Amino acid sequence: MFSRNTARAGAAMLAGAALTLLSVPAHAKDVVKIAFIAPLTGGVSNMGLGGRNSADLAVRLRNEDPKSKYTYQLVTQDDECKPNVGVQVATKVAADRSIVAGVTHYCSAVAMATTTVYNRFGMPAIVWGAVLPDVTYANNFKEVHRVNGTMINQNEVAAKFMTGLGYKKWAIIHDTTDYGKGHNKYFSDFLVKNGGTILGTFGVTADQQDFTTELTKIRELKPDVIYFGGLTPLGVRIRTQMEKLGIKAQLQGTSGIKSDAYITGAGKELAEGSLSFIEGAPWEKLPGGLFFTGKYNQQRYSEPAEAYGPFAFAAANLIMDAVEKVGPDRKKVLDVLNKTKDADTIIGKVTFDDHRQNIVPLISKYVVEDGAWVLWEDSSYGKGKRKLAGL
Amino acid sequence: MSEIGQYIFNGLMLGMIYAMVAVGFTLFFGVLDVIKFSHGDMLMVGAFAGLAASMGLTAAGLDAPWAQLLCVVLFAVGLTGLLGAGIARFLILPLHKAPPLNTLLATLMLGTVIREAVRLFYPDGSNPKPFPALLPTASVDLGGFALRVDNLMLLVAGLLAIGSVHFLITRTKLGMAIRAVAQDGETARLMGINFEAVVLLTFALGSGLAALAGIMNGLYYNEVNFSIGLLLGVIGFAAAILGGLGNLYGAILGGFLFASLQVLGSALLPALIPDVPSAYKDVFAFAAVIIFMAWKPTGLIAEKSSERV
Amino acid sequence: MTHKHAFPLSLLVAAFVGLTVYVWLFLHAESQIAVAALVAVAAVAVAAGRRWGFTRRFEEAALASPTLSRSLSLLSALALIAAFHDSHFVLLMLCAVLLYATACLGLTVQFGYSGVANFAGAAFFGIGSYATAVMAAHTQIPHLLVILLSGLIAAVIGSVLITPVLRTRGHYAALVTIAFGILFKTFLEVNDVLGGPQGLQVPGMQLFGHALNDGAPFGTADTSFYVSYALLSLGVFALVYALVSALERSWIGLSMDVVRTDETAAATFGLHIARWKVIAFTTGNFFAGIAGALYGLVSGFVAPNNFTFADSLLMLSIVILGGLGNIVGLLPAAMIVLVLPEKLQFIQEYRFLLFAALVIVILLFRPQGLLPRTTRIFFRGESSR
Repeated sequence: MFSRNTARAGAAMLAGAALTLLSVPAHAKDVVKIAFIAPLTGGVSNMGLGGRNSADLAVRLRNEDPKSKYTYQLVTQDDECKPNVGVQVATKVAADRSIVAGVTHYCSAVAMATTTVYNRFGMPAIVWGAVLPDVTYANNFKEVHRVNGTMINQNEVAAKFMTGLGYKKWAIIHDTTDYGKGHNKYFSDFLVKNGGTILGTFGVTADQQDFTTELTKIRELKPDVIYFGGLTPLGVRIRTQMEKLGIKAQLQGTSGIKSDAYITGAGKELAEGSLSFIEGAPWEKLPGGLFFTGKYNQQRYSEPAEAYGPFAFAAANLIMDAVEKVGPDRKKVLDVLNKTKDADTIIGKVTFDDHRQNIVPLISKYVVEDGAWVLWEDSSYGKGKRKLAGL
Repeated sequence: MSEIGQYIFNGLMLGMIYAMVAVGFTLFFGVLDVIKFSHGDMLMVGAFAGLAASMGLTAAGLDAPWAQLLCVVLFAVGLTGLLGAGIARFLILPLHKAPPLNTLLATLMLGTVIREAVRLFYPDGSNPKPFPALLPTASVDLGGFALRVDNLMLLVAGLLAIGSVHFLITRTKLGMAIRAVAQDGETARLMGINFEAVVLLTFALGSGLAALAGIMNGLYYNEVNFSIGLLLGVIGFAAAILGGLGNLYGAILGGFLFASLQVLGSALLPALIPDVPSAYKDVFAFAAVIIFMAWKPTGLIAEKSSERV
Repeated sequence: MTHKHAFPLSLLVAAFVGLTVYVWLFLHAESQIAVAALVAVAAVAVAAGRRWGFTRRFEEAALASPTLSRSLSLLSALALIAAFHDSHFVLLMLCAVLLYATACLGLTVQFGYSGVANFAGAAFFGIGSYATAVMAAHTQIPHLLVILLSGLIAAVIGSVLITPVLRTRGHYAALVTIAFGILFKTFLEVNDVLGGPQGLQVPGMQLFGHALNDGAPFGTADTSFYVSYALLSLGVFALVYALVSALERSWIGLSMDVVRTDETAAATFGLHIARWKVIAFTTGNFFAGIAGALYGLVSGFVAPNNFTFADSLLMLSIVILGGLGNIVGLLPAAMIVLVLPEKLQFIQEYRFLLFAALVIVILLFRPQGLLPRTTRIFFRGESSR
């Protein structure tokens, strides 16, 4: 026989269950799917995973908001930083009518290849990490937007800065994807305008192992600086092989090597003094930086947000704001996104120009000091206490 | 001058690594008439085993570079040797009676399995990993061209390895058993040689050599990643065929020949066509191999074989 | 003595219908559990069928009435395309399956019939795609002709490649094709003219003045534009299939089989070994080139990374899984290799590992594959008595 206590406990539980059931809203919110595509495996996976976590954070925060009309679901796909895989997953995502829009691509090579796919299927996509200008400027596809800046600003500032420091002679190594070729083109232009000399330009494949040929020739040319337009895995190899061949030039990279993987890959001593340039302010100086980092750390993701995480966060929010406004319809969301002007996001005010490109005015300069990327102005190099190679 | 010196040195290093892989191919072919295509991925496994050993030792507090180097080499060679013997026992020997192309196909697939397994199951496998610098980094200046001590040591180590394999094959009893099995398996059995044991030992030997080459590769480039096995395997195979399958000297010759083709390509092509990326050297080298095969299909030191009709 | 049909015709039709329904369910399934359940059902059915000789009798009956079974297969394929007419991705997968199966038909002619190992199947597929990309973007040649020309280019390059190794044993030919496969991909990657690692965009196909990418010329507003491509791929596959099976039954196929089985005996019977190998290799590459050409038009994008050594090995796994030399097994094998990883998302990452391991297991324990090659029967039924 049940004792009285058991009966009371049972009644309490039933009552509790009934209350919980009653507190569920009369109708569940519709689920809206947003795609997220990035390199989740391979040499640049840390950037892709950081972006994914940031987009996931945005979706979570939005779902916790009682005022949102829909429940959002993030559909992640891995593009492996390879154009053909990117086209495949982009087709898959764009052909799926239940996915409203996408936060897409860190690798410029992939972003360039997939623009036609999004255009063909009419799916709005906001690029969060690729910096090649052609992604938004080469075609007039209304579907492709971008929240981060392009490499034009990056290279302009870099050229001015480096010539300002006193360097005169450069050797350029770039990878042969559109990303590396773009960097080569813009940097060479700006460098010549600022009075630098280019002693030689070398194109390398994106997965090249052995740089002896290029570096041997560079050693003969005796440049002050080696400019590298490419991503982290190659940057690590070039830096280590420079050391093996006894090349003492300064290494200048782009946003492609600004990652912790570069420092762990090359080792603290070799990475010391490497330079990189990246658009946007460091998170401490962003309008929503503290908010973003606070919430990000709360979630305890196993990977850091890395440099482009805030951009992914902002892009996801822009899409969700549009869906809240006009509902999960691709065409309507597209119209809203196209007209974005002075939208408030954690990276500042976002306005899309006639090619749906956001203008990010600030370029940050970074240098590796004691095993971490430090803002130039805050570093011992910037303050004059340490000297870069060749100065 | 120093440019040429650098090229030659690089060619020697690459040639050494290719020769070590090619020797493995040739040993396996000689003993069992099989092409074990997963050999290149053995090299990769050896490199990763070495990396894991090094990380384990560092975590356990054993930091001295020489001690680490010794343990790393022993561990990698031992593990890969066991793996090679296991593959021989469970894959190669059962397929011994099947058409040879089946074995080639099976080992190709095995190479894929090994490569994907490392990529998927080794923590963070798809990223390239830094390999610890366990050799001294001093360098000697030779008239504008810096000769690094570690590269020199690698070169000497490779020569020693190949030399000892050669000594093993030609001067020891085991080597005689291997050569006997290579010549005629059935008669060797009749003469009291344990066929299976010799085969397993040969595979272990070849795989151990590949592991050594993998560690050398890792030390040279300071990096390992899961895909190095494929290209090195194909190059090793091509080198073995260039020199003539089944012939040890041919394999060594083929390895250095392929390396010189690559170096020649990277040095000469820019002179002929300006601004050509150095990756064309692979295209050049492989095209040269294909053309060479048209001229001498069985390699420089031709394989002597007779076929019963 | 009259020979009773082990398999009445009505049961044959019913079996085909059943297969069509199964494939429809498979392609339609969304949740992982549903897919896993379907796979389990298939595995059980195949095992049971093999145990009781069901599959063999079904195959014999199908072969006994070729026109009926072929029209049934065509009908079921058309029914599937119609059922999925509004689903972009399923149609794209169907195109991929059909086109890869076509390329594997070529590989079967090379490897299954003549014993010429081709480890660069994806490279010849890629030659077809790239040739089409260049011709479609830069010339005004009608696209059907472009497809044929791409196949021819692949065939010609193949015939140049095979000449070095005609006189030697199998593994030397293997090396040449492996080297070529790697050379092809590296060449594409470093070559800026052909787009480099970035690849080339391929314009949509134009057929008799109608741009296929603009949408299907029939059906509802929701009909995917991939329907036309799917129909075209089906047509190409059916054509090549008919060609290859006719080839197999003919004296050409017989000669190829003799060359593969025993070169010395073939030579004593007057068969010119080198010539047959060249014919097999070239024909196989022609089919692979055509398949690649159409694939380039369907996906609209070609890049060097689509045609790596791993992809060649994937094609070989399809050929071996389906049963070396048996072209009926190619479609189910292609479905398994290409569609299963898409459906069972959790194996997507492991797919190369799984299929390579599967091929090893097959080679060790059941080298004949799913559907073993049947003996050629020239005279069926009553007329042979």
